[in-house]
Amino acid sequence: MAEEYVVQMKGITKVYPNGIAANQGVDLNIRRGEIHALMGENGAGKSTLMKMLFGLEQPTEGEIWVNGEKVNLSSPTVAISKGIGMVHQHFMLVPSLTVAENMVLGMVPKKSGLFIDKKKAVELTEEYSKRFNLHVDPTAKVMDIPVGMKQKVEILKALVRGAKILILDEPTAVLTTQETSELFRELVNLKKDGYTIIFISHKLNEIMEITDRMTILRGGRSMGVHNTSDVTPEVISRLMVGRDVVLKVEKDRAKPTDEVLRVRDLEYVNEWGKKMLDKVSFSVRKGEILGIAGVEGNGQKELVDMLFHLNTPNSGTVTVNGENIIGLSQRDIRKKGVSLVPEDRMLYGIAGAASIQENIISDRCGEKRLNKGLLFDMKAIHEETDRLIQDYTVLCKSRDQRVDNLSGGNIQKVVVAREFSNDPCLIIADQPTRGIDVGATEFIRKKLVELSRSGIAVLLVSADLNEVMELSDSLIVMYGGKIAAYFEETDDLTDSVMGEYMLGLNHQTPDEIRRVCHE
Amino acid sequence: MNKKRSIIFSLVRGTAAILIALAVAALLIFVSSDGAGAGEKLAQTADAMRQLLIGPAFKSSGGISVKNLSDVLAAMIPIVFTGLATCVMFSANQFNLGAEGGIMLGAFVASMVAIYAPLPPVVLPIAAILAGALAVGAMMLIPAVLKAKLGVSEMVNSLMLNYVVLYFIKYLLNSHLADKSKGQIMSYPFQAHAAIPQLIDNGSKLSWGFVVALIFVVLVYLFMYRTRWGYSIRMIGINQDFAMYSGMKVAAVVILSQVLGGLLAGMGGGIEVLGRYTTFNWNTLPGYGWTGITVAILAGNNPAFVPLAAFFMAYLNKGCNLMSTYCGVPSQLIDILQAVIFVFFAAEQFLSGYRQKLVVKSTQEELKRAAQEAQEKGEVK
Repeated sequence: MAEEYVVQMKGITKVYPNGIAANQGVDLNIRRGEIHALMGENGAGKSTLMKMLFGLEQPTEGEIWVNGEKVNLSSPTVAISKGIGMVHQHFMLVPSLTVAENMVLGMVPKKSGLFIDKKKAVELTEEYSKRFNLHVDPTAKVMDIPVGMKQKVEILKALVRGAKILILDEPTAVLTTQETSELFRELVNLKKDGYTIIFISHKLNEIMEITDRMTILRGGRSMGVHNTSDVTPEVISRLMVGRDVVLKVEKDRAKPTDEVLRVRDLEYVNEWGKKMLDKVSFSVRKGEILGIAGVEGNGQKELVDMLFHLNTPNSGTVTVNGENIIGLSQRDIRKKGVSLVPEDRMLYGIAGAASIQENIISDRCGEKRLNKGLLFDMKAIHEETDRLIQDYTVLCKSRDQRVDNLSGGNIQKVVVAREFSNDPCLIIADQPTRGIDVGATEFIRKKLVELSRSGIAVLLVSADLNEVMELSDSLIVMYGGKIAAYFEETDDLTDSVMGEYMLGLNHQTPDEIRRVCHE
Repeated sequence: MNKKRSIIFSLVRGTAAILIALAVAALLIFVSSDGAGAGEKLAQTADAMRQLLIGPAFKSSGGISVKNLSDVLAAMIPIVFTGLATCVMFSANQFNLGAEGGIMLGAFVASMVAIYAPLPPVVLPIAAILAGALAVGAMMLIPAVLKAKLGVSEMVNSLMLNYVVLYFIKYLLNSHLADKSKGQIMSYPFQAHAAIPQLIDNGSKLSWGFVVALIFVVLVYLFMYRTRWGYSIRMIGINQDFAMYSGMKVAAVVILSQVLGGLLAGMGGGIEVLGRYTTFNWNTLPGYGWTGITVAILAGNNPAFVPLAAFFMAYLNKGCNLMSTYCGVPSQLIDILQAVIFVFFAAEQFLSGYRQKLVVKSTQEELKRAAQEAQEKGEVK
């Protein structure tokens, strides 16, 4: 019976202008009132498929049916009018406006036809907040509220606009364990009220916990629909990647030696007067991986920015092998042997319109071995590039391929190939595997361990709890711009212990924390 | 999309842009023609279009017109230089529009050296051209340093600078440097041995400057694609944050790109006056800088395509001149023609539907091939 399905996407093919076929003949059938998981590695085509359902992209071939009616979703406005709402992975909120103002953006209640009726906006927000049991503070500015609440605002925004079908794009990527379970309770409530939820994720345990059915995508094709109760995590992971993924990284015990990075009393107040770093002190030694865990927005980004002079601290010292690096240019910081895998790889990590080769040599283009007098030694450059493409298994047609035509995982491999191969003494890896496929993730993690064991100091910043706990030899947790905890060993740590420190429910004594300075 | 298809697409797109522009031109000529009936108007239009399209290369009797062709090549000289200058600056994402003032200042400074410097033959023209180039290089420091240090828009600055240069030169020429014995405002004549020798002596003024221009096309290409500085310029143009993070000296390169652009524009100015004139008598901006911007955009900021684009512009210009001389069509029409071609070249979405079809076809073929290969491999196993 056709009405059983609230959304049907039939034979969807999408070819982007750069020639990437993101979807090939994908079928997606969503039943009314179910939580349906859309799973797959990065680059599998999940986001593309959802963008077409939300009217952000148009399919090259195929049909979309909503509520048994064939539709042409030419823009998000049309999609919203059909009752489809989307909560993006990166929130689409205006930070300087209040929750209520964000809520009514584009559908503002007016007073005498001209002025914004703020009271009504607040009332509306409160009404929906109560009805759906999603607690938000209507008068708080979005920039001041925690990530979990921002997400509720996004969900409410979609509901206010009359959405009956909610698309959630990796909703838990930025949440703590506690916030995640809260979100799940809310989603189950929505489902009871007859809402349909499409849940994009690649976290297996979450999918098992909350969804009814799942569609798995691999390489732009559908790997079929399954009832969640019928499959095991092993089966899903095999369908997703075509092999059994072992995300355990084998590593022997670290034998740290000399101090490489020394950070003392680092303080930073951001442009809105918020203290983002508060007397942060720690050291990283040769041969160890020091992890920094924490919910995003607790000072990790600012800390990394200070270490690579993408921003300047108000006070404090940072030395590498005893030499100050604060105030140095990126060029001089690199000369001291510091490498950075940046959090935002599209902004800092690559020049998208340039070739793989041009992206590989960006930090070393002035080196003697790549130049012959005034000109580049093209042979040496080709050799270097080809060697790195091979060593880092970058999947590409040739070294001249534009780097933004590669998949996310392969782009990150290009970044990593450059940053790991310039003979560093300190590698700062900021969210090194965020949003990339399992294969590339595994590769990069192994490489980090290998490099640390060869005597390089590694500072790993990651919001992925599994990642920091799995890779780090020792670990600090940041909360509210401070170090909340230091764990010398990570073997016995559990999610819930970490979660308490990450949410500020618990913190260690200054003496316990000071051990990370190794003095 | 594979290489062959993307070349086909570029060709189709370019041809379509030109055909549309010509159709617009024909329509305008037809409307503005002073013929009596529609038949006469049509004949006039056909005649004018013939002059425009084949006049610059062929005589009306058939056979190649050497004179017209050498005129076209001679006209390429200054716009190759301004085109190269603009390529370099635009590649660094610096929208410096100062090539216009640059070519004028270069011409002026070179002229002064050619008039007053007591230098021997061969040395004199070279010194004059270099002096012009250096002067413009120094001039470009103004928008460049202001951009790099204070973040002032180089576009506004360089645009205004053109007029500062123009009126400064007019002032110097009018009040101090003019040859008062002449009926119009011009400098004293250049020393005879300052002239750049001609390649062909048919009055076209096709000088050895043409050869120098082509040499510089190669040099600038090598600089942009085979040296670390040119590479830095291009990377900064694509993603400045990436360049900074990678350890490039962004501010220095931003300045370098504009100074280099200035050197090239200035050199073009010197070569143009010494190859074409015997005195300096420019009273307005020559327009080569503006054409240079068109050339750079047509060439996609790649120096290798600058001569092609410059030839196209020079050919078109010559055709319009012939059209206005022999058929009474106003030469202003060329501006309309240029503008129409330009709009269609610059319009990224022009024929994008056709492009998308080609892309889809290529991708589907590729996928089919991949599937086939996979199958073959499977059979081997």
